[in-house]
Amino acid sequence: MTKRRMFLRMITASLLRRRSRMLVALLSIGIGATILSGLVTIYYDVPRQMGAQFRNYGANMIFVSADGTSLDAEKTAEALSLIPKEKILGATPYRYTSAQMVRNQLSFVAAGTDFEQVQATSPYFMVDGAYPSASRQVLLGKEVAKTIGAKLNSMVEISWKPSVTEASGDTELKPGAYLAGSAEGFNSALVYVTLKLGDDLSIAEMTVNADSQTAEFGGRCAEESFTKQFIGKLIPLTAGTDVDAMTGATVTSQAVVDAVNKARPTENAQAATGNSLSLQVTGILDTGGDEEQYIFLSLSDMEALTGEQDRFDVMELSVSASAEELEEYVSQITDKSGSVSARLVKRVTRSEAAVLTKLQSLVFLVTAVVLLLTMICVSTTMMAVVTERRKEIGLRKALGASDSSIRLEFLGEGIFLGALGGLLGSVLGFGFAQVVSVNVFGSSIQFQPLLLPLTVAVSMLIAALSCMLPIKRAVQIDPALVLKGE
Amino acid sequence: MSLLELKNISKIYGELKALDKVNIHVDKGEWVAIMGPSGSGKSTMMNIIGCMDKPSRGEVLLDGVDIAKESSRKLTDIRRDKIGLVFQQFHMVNYLTAVENVMVAQYYHSMPDEKEALEALARVGLKERAHHLPSQLSGGEQQRVCVARALINHPELILADEPTGNLDETNENIVLDLFAQLHKEGTTLIVVTHDPEVADAAQRTIVLEHGRVAREVINENFGK
Repeated sequence: MTKRRMFLRMITASLLRRRSRMLVALLSIGIGATILSGLVTIYYDVPRQMGAQFRNYGANMIFVSADGTSLDAEKTAEALSLIPKEKILGATPYRYTSAQMVRNQLSFVAAGTDFEQVQATSPYFMVDGAYPSASRQVLLGKEVAKTIGAKLNSMVEISWKPSVTEASGDTELKPGAYLAGSAEGFNSALVYVTLKLGDDLSIAEMTVNADSQTAEFGGRCAEESFTKQFIGKLIPLTAGTDVDAMTGATVTSQAVVDAVNKARPTENAQAATGNSLSLQVTGILDTGGDEEQYIFLSLSDMEALTGEQDRFDVMELSVSASAEELEEYVSQITDKSGSVSARLVKRVTRSEAAVLTKLQSLVFLVTAVVLLLTMICVSTTMMAVVTERRKEIGLRKALGASDSSIRLEFLGEGIFLGALGGLLGSVLGFGFAQVVSVNVFGSSIQFQPLLLPLTVAVSMLIAALSCMLPIKRAVQIDPALVLKGE
Repeated sequence: MSLLELKNISKIYGELKALDKVNIHVDKGEWVAIMGPSGSGKSTMMNIIGCMDKPSRGEVLLDGVDIAKESSRKLTDIRRDKIGLVFQQFHMVNYLTAVENVMVAQYYHSMPDEKEALEALARVGLKERAHHLPSQLSGGEQQRVCVARALINHPELILADEPTGNLDETNENIVLDLFAQLHKEGTTLIVVTHDPEVADAAQRTIVLEHGRVAREVINENFGK
């Protein structure tokens, strides 16, 4: 038998055959290790748990176009791919435009979005009814619903008109191009025209929207009897010369001519003519914020309405990551994606970081105190053990044990106890953390395998440190005490 | 040839002279008893011979080395290598079995060897009890384990402190028989006792009184 085996045999015998005393020491180390492993588990899980809680307060990052125009879907997807997929809880595109209720001509902001993502990035949205799940459905902001008197499941018709400022592109006229323009008519209300040019750049087709004018006067400017005068003529036109004014609607007639002269090329027929959609109200949105004044429809409906595809104004993201990680993603996107500009919602990310720091320092402090208490407890127990075993120590010394042998034996016992207590604590600690997590955060936690060796190592270290003073006492014991019965 | 020589040693605690200019010599293979009433300096002398204490004055030559001049670390080495101890109160490690207790002495001395330890136990008639804990052994059995432990490393000197003080007559005789055997094999024995019967088993008895050697008695009947 080697010395090492005898050493282990003595240590294990001491622990196994002197159960009650060692159980106290084991228990205190075990409890210390439980708290340690439990709190460390929570410490590392708090950001995840709290992050999830914070994600309930909405998006913490937004994408906008770097040059102030709109976001391109492809470029946005590229920027999105720079953030690890599992970190993205939700990414919601928004396309804003102005739309009108056909019934009463009131204008509202219409937002095209992805409702599934909305629920991830804006979990605080309260919807009376349900989010739209099929096309031709709409979610109305509470204020909008109130203003137009819309009820759940009723139908609303919204219309969209291209504005002159929206008609983009160069001003050079090309054969077959669509043009759109508007001008102020009676009562400063807008009159819209859309044109299609013929091969010789003359007006081939023309529609007028004069809904804003008095129906029996200016409204009649939309009639073909009036618009046919424009066909085949070249822009610019002069009222009275090229076109005769509609009787009783001189102002509106002039507005139509002005609108034609101001018309600019636009992308497609729809962008030129405007469009309207009939939508079913599936839900009414209550947020307490500006969103109550918006109309929300799906991106596909928005595309059907405006004819514009794969463009957003803003993308809101809910990213589960620490403040540093978020900063890192933002700078990566800024570096690699020219057209997408990522920004953090500072109000959310800052308060999250502040709360996390406070929570983590609290956990750290409690852990430190518990470890200190464990050390005191183990040290006291080991001191009692040394006192209890004075004779045995004296005997060992009388039998020729050197001071270092005695030190090694007690340290060995302490470290062995530490390892056992650490193992025990790892298991109990996970249970402890699980209970805390379920009760406080309402979600379970994952077992951190790395925590097992860490807990065992720290327990062994704590046990070894706790043994220092008792060992010093043990070494001082005089072997002569075994001679003559005490 | 002398194994142990105490030359003019004194041990002084403040005003008290526990030992006062004592001279003793013990030959190799000799069996010596040390007797004396309480307070006569027996324990002090025992501690000094057992390398657990040093005299205030004088020389202690053990196998030619003056242990009075050695460091306590060196004393531990000497004790381990040359001396086997037997105590009045047996002193076993209470959570180790009989054979493990014997092996502890091997462990500190050199290398634990269970077979050899079992042989030593067989020698003291405890082969069957080798794997019992001290609490499962009688006083006599415990003391025999201690004798086995004392002789396991083949020491030059076995130093026994009231080895039969807590034993009945039967066990006392067993232990004394074991000592007689060891003596025959050439082991030097020093037995501190106040039991005249135990002293009578030795070749020579040194009587201490008030820290001095009062007289030495040669046992005429030794071996008869």
